[in-house]
Amino acid sequence: MRSRVLFARLAPLLACVGLLAVWQVAALTLNNDSFPTALDSIRAIPSILGDKEALINILASLRRMAIGFGTAVLVSIPLGLLMGRSRSVASFFNPLLMVIYPVPKAALMPIIMLWLGVGDLSKTLVIFLGVSLPVIYHSFEGAKAVEEKMLWSGAAMGLSAVERLVRIVLPAALPEILTGCRTGLVLALITMITSEMIARQSGAGNILFNALDMGQYDTVFAMIIIIGGMGIFLDAAFERMRERLVRWSEPQFDIPLSFS
Amino acid sequence: MNGRDATRDVLLGLIPIALLLAIWQGTVSLGLAPPTLLPPPGLVFMRMAQLLATASFNQEILATLFRLFAGFSIAVVLGIAIGLAAAVSPAINAAVRPVVRVLAPLPKVALYPALLLLLGFGHESKITLVAADALFPILLSTYYGASTVEQKLIWSAMAAGTPPREILFKVILPGAAPSILTGCRIGLVISCIVVFLAEMITSTDGLGHVLITAARTFQAVDMFVPLITISLLGLILNGLLQAVRSYLLRGFPEV
Repeated sequence: MRSRVLFARLAPLLACVGLLAVWQVAALTLNNDSFPTALDSIRAIPSILGDKEALINILASLRRMAIGFGTAVLVSIPLGLLMGRSRSVASFFNPLLMVIYPVPKAALMPIIMLWLGVGDLSKTLVIFLGVSLPVIYHSFEGAKAVEEKMLWSGAAMGLSAVERLVRIVLPAALPEILTGCRTGLVLALITMITSEMIARQSGAGNILFNALDMGQYDTVFAMIIIIGGMGIFLDAAFERMRERLVRWSEPQFDIPLSFS
Repeated sequence: MNGRDATRDVLLGLIPIALLLAIWQGTVSLGLAPPTLLPPPGLVFMRMAQLLATASFNQEILATLFRLFAGFSIAVVLGIAIGLAAAVSPAINAAVRPVVRVLAPLPKVALYPALLLLLGFGHESKITLVAADALFPILLSTYYGASTVEQKLIWSAMAAGTPPREILFKVILPGAAPSILTGCRIGLVISCIVVFLAEMITSTDGLGHVLITAARTFQAVDMFVPLITISLLGLILNGLLQAVRSYLLRGFPEV
């Protein structure tokens, strides 16, 4: 039994090693200048992380991502919960959200850049837009599925509408909300990279695409590993937190289910 | 819901869109924003109608649509196949699960430079990126749908002497269909977004390329047109998928 638990813990790590091994073999067989081996790319990582400027760039990216993600979550959860509990609010916002949904948020970057410049503000705004939609959607679905009887009991015990929203709807919808946040987290990372790729000024995306333009292929692949590692790490950390917060709910799949 | 409520909902939903257009028009008319930065909506829609009538703009739309469909179809086929296999076979599950756990949260756009270097600047790299991004929602929802099919249905089929292969296609696949289609819907929206982004990064045609060219020459009007076009395309494709869904799920209770 213990060895099985151990295996389950190690399985993602093994998968990482396996993928890197496949990469190594593929690179060796292709023997292409623009496709360095996995080992070469990993060797290039310390020089990037050791470079002060690159490190500042990456940290600046993460800061923008954290601010964008944080504000998006703070705005989207109340809005989604309200939409889930009130039909008027839902039908007010739904069509607008449906129109905005298929627009790639990072594609708004050139226009937002015209208005707000290339600085932190436009990039954070784009991340905010990218994160808010899935969080709104999942909060909406979660709030819609709350058992009516619990709300009636709450009302019978004299809770006001706001109190009911905070003390009944929010906890009941929490598992679904956190699923949305998890999707939002991955999207935040994606939008962060693309926004920096379009506004080449600072950040991890900037390093990645500049290296591509300058033909520094080992830097390109090392940055891919760094960014991928960030994604995997953030996702795993979030999953830990989620498990603690909603331990009472039914056990869910340990792999992210929705990536809307 | 009765008819009157539905009309009210639709009207209520039109308010924010109308409001948005009004604010847009108002900002321009009041001179708060110069038209070079924010062109009036009328101008944008007229330009769009004008462009839609030209062959070259339609060519761009077709290029985008081709990449979108190619990538999306690959993702659908692979996603459903792997998802089903992982749900029915514990051995495949043990192999697929950790790999998916690692690859799913990876920001695929970051892989795009690698794809460019490996597959070149043509269709292939973009299609691969679209497929890679759309794959995971479809795979995961197929897996989820197939592993939550009612066990009793499978037992009854076995008791009736159905061979395992037929159980897969006649019981599990239809049982998982609602979940699979939800995954496809998510995958479709993602495909729309990703194909556009890939074309913005490097391309010689497609809607994303139209946007980037306009941005480089500061043609604000032309920047809005591809954005509105991709939004409309997304809505139309979503509607088509909805129609497919209600046809495929005609025997199911409301989901």
